Amino acid sequence: MSSSVSELKERHAAAIETVNSLRERLKQKRQQLLDVDVAGYSRSQGRAPVSFGPTDLVCCRTLQGHAGKVYSLDWTSERNRIVSASQDGRLIVWNALTSQKTHAIKLPCAWVMTCAFSPTGQSVACGGLDSVCSIFNLNSPTDKDGNLPVSRMLSGHKGYVSCCQYVPDEDTHLITSSGDQTCVLWDITTGLRTSVFGGEFQSGHTADVLSVSISGSNSRMFVSGSCDSTARLWDTRVASRAVRTFHGHEGDVNTVKFFPDGNRFGTGSDDGTCRLFDIRTGHQLQVYYQQHGENEIPHVTSIAFSISGRLLFAGYSNGDCYVWDTLLAKVGHHSGRIGSYHLPFPLQVVLNLGSLQNSHEGRITCLGLSADGSALCTGSWDTNLKELITVMKLKVCQYISVDAQFDSLQNNAGVIQSKLARFGLLEGTGGCSESLGSERLVNLLLNLRFWLTSFCCFLLP
Amino acid sequence: MQSDRSDSRGLNTQRTQSLTGSGDTRGKHRIQAELKRLEQETRFLEEELEQLDKTEKASAACNETLRNVEAIPDPLLPITNGPLNPLWDRWFERPKESRGCRCWIL
Repeated sequence: MSSSVSELKERHAAAIETVNSLRERLKQKRQQLLDVDVAGYSRSQGRAPVSFGPTDLVCCRTLQGHAGKVYSLDWTSERNRIVSASQDGRLIVWNALTSQKTHAIKLPCAWVMTCAFSPTGQSVACGGLDSVCSIFNLNSPTDKDGNLPVSRMLSGHKGYVSCCQYVPDEDTHLITSSGDQTCVLWDITTGLRTSVFGGEFQSGHTADVLSVSISGSNSRMFVSGSCDSTARLWDTRVASRAVRTFHGHEGDVNTVKFFPDGNRFGTGSDDGTCRLFDIRTGHQLQVYYQQHGENEIPHVTSIAFSISGRLLFAGYSNGDCYVWDTLLAKVGHHSGRIGSYHLPFPLQVVLNLGSLQNSHEGRITCLGLSADGSALCTGSWDTNLKELITVMKLKVCQYISVDAQFDSLQNNAGVIQSKLARFGLLEGTGGCSESLGSERLVNLLLNLRFWLTSFCCFLLP
Repeated sequence: MQSDRSDSRGLNTQRTQSLTGSGDTRGKHRIQAELKRLEQETRFLEEELEQLDKTEKASAACNETLRNVEAIPDPLLPITNGPLNPLWDRWFERPKESRGCRCWIL
């Protein structure tokens, strides 16, 4: 038996050599076909980079209400509504035009990583560390506690659900990506898996899958991005293998997004680059990278294309959000940690990420374009305590951040209540017309994070 | 995002290392499954190499990208093709309720 095992091991080692050498040959051959990139070609055709004036893109809304990092957001296809998912364990549905919240959904598992709006706008889906994708019908009656019940739970993943997206034009199917190295196409009406892409018995990703994007022009095609540094193109009719695997990145592929024309897709990675790949030829058409002048290369955490594809919005782990001209591979505009500080965890419906006013002060974690491409929404989280206090001095604080010690909260609740009342935050005295009883206040405080302790220090004599 | 990152070069080395320890039946089956997967991978790679012989150069895809991008009106561009849609400017109108919603507690 041992000799046949060692024989197998030899064959195994030889097979690895073969695969590696084939990959190398493929790489060389591809290199020879890359006669020009998109930027080189566009320049040769006389195209000039997009340039933004100071009032071309402006921040026009700030959606406040989350009490934790905003991890994910998605727009409806009818233009004006957004669903957002936050570390505070809630989904909020917003009317972005009026800034009203239409739903605040308390999640069974607070560790949510992704959310999605259904094509008709009647349902939202979310998933996270519970390894389940939960569906909520927004028209359902709430239960006795005022919570929207889960209308369907899609169970089956053996790892976290990192990303989910409904198949366009139908509320009945969605695709998830997971830490269990697979993507799954679900039938929501039955709650069952229609297809599993990758995994133990099929060829697919060899590490956690972090992102999916379904083609807008052919809903049978989707791409996935993974910690195995590749992106893969799948045909939902063929689960046994990917149509194509895209190499090039040198780090986790955190985000993938189909290009508007449906024949290309963009990626963002821990290697600090975004890339544009062509699905029919497999070519890497462009790399978007700018030296950030820091020791560590910031990771690309999220990307979105404008409706024509001319602009690529990229959020980075250091808080920057760059607006790339995709054709000329130049940065058209960017916002760093400059400008006036903004309250933490807002969603911003921004048009200008380079604006010095009202841009995010913190790290942008997610991006999304409205369906007609007229607005970009960014979600973020901020951690700069000093500036938080400064803002609270200058403005009526419209919301409090999270995480503090329970004991000190309880002891200080009464003091804080009176302070907040003075600032007009209670009982509709200045801020919201919604009244806030002390019970709710204590509940809120129980969800606060470490900043509140400093907030107390600021407020207490 | 914490996970096992396996790039294309390192992947197979890692798998070899995890397989060399065991000499029992379970190990044998594992190696066989791995071998099968590698043989399948080899076939896919050979197919792809063949396809590349018939694949056009990147400039064709670049040309198509340029044409497709410039054909679509884009509200976020300072200058774009028409037709312009007046609804693009709805974000700049005052909300009907002048105070807007400032509720902040859930």
